[in-house]
Amino acid sequence: MRYIGQKFIQLLIVLFAVTFTVSLALSALPNSKERILAAKSVNPANVEAANAVLDSLHLRDSQIKQYGYFMKDLVTGDWGVTFQGNQSIKTSIWDGLQISLRLMVYAQVIALLLAIPIAIISAYRNGGFFDRTATTTSFGMLSLPSYILAPLFILLFSVRWGWFTSRSENTSLFDDPWQHFKDYFMPTLVLALPLAATYMRLLRADLIATLQGDFITTARAKGLSTSRILLGHALRPSTFSLVTAAALNTGTLVGGSLVVETAFGLNGLGFKTVVGIFGNEFRLVQITVLVLAMIYVFVNFFVDIAYGWIDPRIRAARALT
Amino acid sequence: MATTKHRRRSRAFGATLLGFALVAAACSSDDKESVSDDTAAPTSAASETTAAGTDTTAAPDTAETTATTAGGGGDTTVAPDTVPVDSVASEGDPVVGGSLIMGIEADTSSPWRPAEMVCAISCHQVIRSVFDTLMLPGADKLPHPYLASAVEPNEDFTVWRITAREGVKFHDGTDFDGAAIVDNLTRHKTALLTGTAIKSVTSIEVDPADPMTAVVTVEKPWATFGFYLTGQIGYMASPTWLAASDTDDTLKSKPVGTGPFVFEDYKPNEYFKATKNPDYWNQPYPYLDSVEFVPINDALQRKQALDTGSVNLIHATNGQVITEIRDNAGDYSSREITADGETAYSMLHVTQEGSPLTDVRVRCALAYSQDIPTLNDAINLGVNKIANGPFSPDQVGYLEDSGYPMTQDMAKAQELIAEYKAENPGPLKLALATTTDETNLVTANFQKQWYEEAGIDEVTIDQIDQGNYIVQALLGNFQVFQWRNHGGLDLDTQYFWWHSSSSLDVGALALNFGRIKDPDLDALLDQNRASADPAEKKQIAEDVNRLFAKQCYNLWGTYTVWVVAGNPNIRGIAGTNLELPDGAGPANEGSGIAGTFYPQTLWLDNG
Repeated sequence: MRYIGQKFIQLLIVLFAVTFTVSLALSALPNSKERILAAKSVNPANVEAANAVLDSLHLRDSQIKQYGYFMKDLVTGDWGVTFQGNQSIKTSIWDGLQISLRLMVYAQVIALLLAIPIAIISAYRNGGFFDRTATTTSFGMLSLPSYILAPLFILLFSVRWGWFTSRSENTSLFDDPWQHFKDYFMPTLVLALPLAATYMRLLRADLIATLQGDFITTARAKGLSTSRILLGHALRPSTFSLVTAAALNTGTLVGGSLVVETAFGLNGLGFKTVVGIFGNEFRLVQITVLVLAMIYVFVNFFVDIAYGWIDPRIRAARALT
Repeated sequence: MATTKHRRRSRAFGATLLGFALVAAACSSDDKESVSDDTAAPTSAASETTAAGTDTTAAPDTAETTATTAGGGGDTTVAPDTVPVDSVASEGDPVVGGSLIMGIEADTSSPWRPAEMVCAISCHQVIRSVFDTLMLPGADKLPHPYLASAVEPNEDFTVWRITAREGVKFHDGTDFDGAAIVDNLTRHKTALLTGTAIKSVTSIEVDPADPMTAVVTVEKPWATFGFYLTGQIGYMASPTWLAASDTDDTLKSKPVGTGPFVFEDYKPNEYFKATKNPDYWNQPYPYLDSVEFVPINDALQRKQALDTGSVNLIHATNGQVITEIRDNAGDYSSREITADGETAYSMLHVTQEGSPLTDVRVRCALAYSQDIPTLNDAINLGVNKIANGPFSPDQVGYLEDSGYPMTQDMAKAQELIAEYKAENPGPLKLALATTTDETNLVTANFQKQWYEEAGIDEVTIDQIDQGNYIVQALLGNFQVFQWRNHGGLDLDTQYFWWHSSSSLDVGALALNFGRIKDPDLDALLDQNRASADPAEKKQIAEDVNRLFAKQCYNLWGTYTVWVVAGNPNIRGIAGTNLELPDGAGPANEGSGIAGTFYPQTLWLDNG
């Protein structure tokens, strides 16, 4: 309980630091007020009208006060509308979050489904043909950034074979599962392949180390089957690095898939954040960053909990503190 | 055929790779354009910008404008394999039904209220589906009533009577009448940007004797007022919706008009959807059941989306895209809608205190130093035509020889700079603004090289993100600024870009970006505004062209070429498909806005 309390306080500190820093950064953008006034059809030369608009947005108040209004609006749910497009910020963020979460979940699942079996076999056959092939392939995947993979996939799957269109339409899974699959296949794969390579490398290395442990030798001496040793005894203690990397990538995937979102025409949270920064959508950006920070913090919180499951010694140590 | 397909695939990959490499390099959604096309994220009022770094600004009237590469010149001769191709199969009887998705260069407006729209080419293309204009230009390049049943001036053009067409209702059931016209025009009068365009209007009221007629009184004779009713100021929105959206911001993105399609849904940077208006006043239009517009900022990606079936129709100014479409004309239904289009150039701030650009010798030295044909070959693959003034070849005022230097004369440029330096000792520095687009940066580097060779001691290149680019122009915060503008059917549609009445101090938002204050130019613009005599107007426009050449207020680049291309079964792109209600014949191609068409005339030939 105390541990959870500590984590909660940490969460509040992180959220405050992130949102306050972003607020300061946004106010430092060049011509930020002029851009907002232009979007509101008000000439800065008309001081009275300009001030009225800026006051309605609290933009002439001190940074501390502005931040206070942000928190108030956040809590009361009065998030407003975007300057460009006059969209409800709640709707805009929710739309983007759904796309980004789908991409993240699909990419993580595919990456893990690819990485775990390959890593296990590679570690077990360390130095063998399969291991060398998998290692080489993983280095290849790691070397291919998404801005290369995306056009390559479009060339193959859209231009050459015509299986998918080059732009995704974000069809709902429940409305049309097949179209949903077609919409997300390429972007998911572009994100998943480098991830799978990373996860495979991490898990393979940890597994190799684990397989040299005394308890594995004991298990072998007891006559346990290879699969039981690998899956029942070696895998779990070898997943520290994998779990940590997967957790970090969760936040990155939700907010940082800009290139893939742009390439396939998906209006995810990363895309919206960047457009929002350039469009001076300060409230949209503030709340988006808050959402992303919360995702990072919560995921890492759950990972901390998971460490205790992965290694009971951690759980025991926490109980003593 | 196999060779053609192979070539297209190879180009598609190259295009894709280039596009994404640029995305990666810029790492911003605002920086997607690759080869001198324009598109982008919407920015501030009066403008939208391009993802590619080329910029598109809004025009409050019929003209649309676009910041773009300063140069991007064009060959004056056209290579045999790049001959413009209009590839539309013979058009039979229109077929009703079907849907169409169009890839547009930018999401260019917000909000969708006529007096506040940020309207560049894409914006006009999209919103024509929902709003009708009071007038439309005909093939004779004169405004004719469209949604209005009559538009009549008094003898000295100081009072205009605009009569609403009987029986027309807005999509929400509101009657279209004189009060609706008054409401719409009054909102323009008080708007930030369109207000500048109709500054001379002194009163707008319903005729007490005829509730279907609005009476507009102007300060001085304004013979060309009708042109303003063919563009943004002429779009009619439902007064009921306008009033409701005054207090509910979310309604501002849900336009209600009288147009051929009814607004369905809009998500910024994602799509704009509209469905057929079965009660459209101008039957038998529209033919399609629905239209959807999808912004794809990068021209190469847009073309790829067309080739892979993501969209059915696109428009583009990109030299590579146009060349590919010309080379594979049989694969597309395409049309180059370039008449009365805009010019790519570099704007100069000519009245900034202490700036060397207040001296005509420095400005003209920069003009002499430019080698636009070389740049055009590099940037536009020679597709565009070299510009010698603000007016493209189809516009009134175009001259084969305006007096502006068409070829590089570095010796002359150096001589002028030396002369200036002799009188103004000290370092001679210039700031050149461009967007974050890689192609525009290439253009800027060409310019820097030319200007420094001419004798400018230092040219600094400022890359400005798209969102801020237009604001810098409106505020007048620049010296040399890459841009694209000045399409349109009459010189009067350029009035507010050049007249001193819209040249405000630096720091105030003004449409006369370069802050030109020239009494001779003012006089010519006023004279043109008051004249209805075609011969006189032609003379005035040509004089304006020569004045710009003499004063070197802007550094001309190229005349932009626009292509509209789609699936081979698309019909009705040409402006000639829309007959004007007054029997004056077909409407003008693109309504004087290059790269656009009338959505109500599109149909699909699935036979």
